[in-house]
Amino acid sequence: MELIDLGSVAKREDSFITFLDQVCDRFELDHAAYAGSNPVAGTIHGYVNYPEPWKAHYVKSGFHRIDPTLHKASRSIAPVDWRRLERDSQFHQVFRDASDFGITDRGLTIPVRGPYGDTGMLSVTRNCSVAEWDKLVAHIIPELQSVAVHVHDTVMRSDVLSRALRYPALSTREREILQWVAAGKSQQDVGDILGISHRTVEVHLRSGREKLYALTTPQAVGRAIALGLIYPL
Amino acid sequence: MIIVVDALNKDRFGDLLDQMFQLRARVFGDRLGWEVTITNGREIDQFDHLDPAYVIGLDDDGNVVSCVRALQTTGPHMLSDVFQVLLDGEPPLRSATLWESTRFCVDTQRLAGDGTMKAVSWATCELMIGSLEYARRSGISDIITVIDPVVNRVLKRSDNAPYDYVGSTKQMGKVPAMAALLDCTEERINRVRAFANIHHDVFAEDDTVRALLDRKAQIAEQIVAEMAAEAEAEEEIRVTAEEIRDYCSDLLQSARTEKERADAQRLVDMLVRQRIHPTMPVLVHSR
Repeated sequence: MELIDLGSVAKREDSFITFLDQVCDRFELDHAAYAGSNPVAGTIHGYVNYPEPWKAHYVKSGFHRIDPTLHKASRSIAPVDWRRLERDSQFHQVFRDASDFGITDRGLTIPVRGPYGDTGMLSVTRNCSVAEWDKLVAHIIPELQSVAVHVHDTVMRSDVLSRALRYPALSTREREILQWVAAGKSQQDVGDILGISHRTVEVHLRSGREKLYALTTPQAVGRAIALGLIYPL
Repeated sequence: MIIVVDALNKDRFGDLLDQMFQLRARVFGDRLGWEVTITNGREIDQFDHLDPAYVIGLDDDGNVVSCVRALQTTGPHMLSDVFQVLLDGEPPLRSATLWESTRFCVDTQRLAGDGTMKAVSWATCELMIGSLEYARRSGISDIITVIDPVVNRVLKRSDNAPYDYVGSTKQMGKVPAMAALLDCTEERINRVRAFANIHHDVFAEDDTVRALLDRKAQIAEQIVAEMAAEAEAEEEIRVTAEEIRDYCSDLLQSARTEKERADAQRLVDMLVRQRIHPTMPVLVHSR
């Protein structure tokens, strides 16, 4: 199924939760959680689709202060499989209780870094065998990376100042490629027209998409036109 | 063997990072003449304080022989903050699946010890394989890397040529620099593996590397202890001036041939001339 594009919906809590539900459906996961901090606005954001009793217990127990999937994983640049986290007292404290609530410790956290000191994390879990987990992760990790940045960027743009700071800064190459895509050219055609490799087109298109807070190329084209970055044809 | 050190395991590998910063100082500061800040023999910049990931190559003895640094392009990185000039004033690429790699280097001094470039080429390829596989495993599709023309040639020679460049080559201090694009596809990784004839898993477990480093530190400690013991032993057999005097007069008196006497006399003269001990003149007078 297609993920909803957070850039075009109202920034309400339930749209983020719906998004996380969709992420779980699409990538065959049990649960997903996003946490992020925006130093520009001085805000902390968190959205999870864990069951209510666990959410309540988590907050009541103050686990957000010790949860290693938040504090340790956020400092990595690569996704952190929870197997990599040290099995220390804090880990056990959180995950012993989690297991009572039927929450698995089979999961991973994708850390996101933004340009203004903002950081975020998308964590996902699935209760399954190691072999199944490893196979799933290898398969979905590239897309999950993009999803993590998409949620993070959208959350970080929820205040006016941050939105102004994060006005999409497209390069000439990115605009040029989007312009040809808007004219109906395939990636291969665009490469031929501009005399660059298909891969160069792809990497610029992906960057352009993400700068426009879009998950798909048509969304990116639409937004670029709306912002006056390229011409409508 | 390759190990990835990042914020999660750097507490265990402080000694390794220290070795790496020293290697970077030797390569970028001394050999290549880049405008880098070297403090105390270590090259460390602002991006090292942002919890980057380091892909580090080690030889069998646990010496750092190669390294490279990776940062996400969604956050602060060199192309967005200090290498902007390479992009001709254009904003940098920013993508969840694009990492930036910088400070790629190999310890050619240590590795070219046998007079050939074989070990250098092997270590270079092992590092390239390690960094490409680490990125790929993390869901990264492409790497943008800031390199100089020398590394660019090395990449091309290792069947690992960049598929494109962004911006243009610019003089950065004494050396030209450029931003090159590499995909993290299996095809590319296989090409480098085939070129270098490397078919094993290049990554070593954290525990394996830690054990190797501990063993190395232990041996170093042992050697230092042995040297200290030797120095102490030498001190114990230090002879007194009287002993030297007695030895010398014995030598002079027991000389049976003219040659033996001359040799003994030469020793005495030398001891006097070099002022080995102030009581030496007594010896001279005693002859």
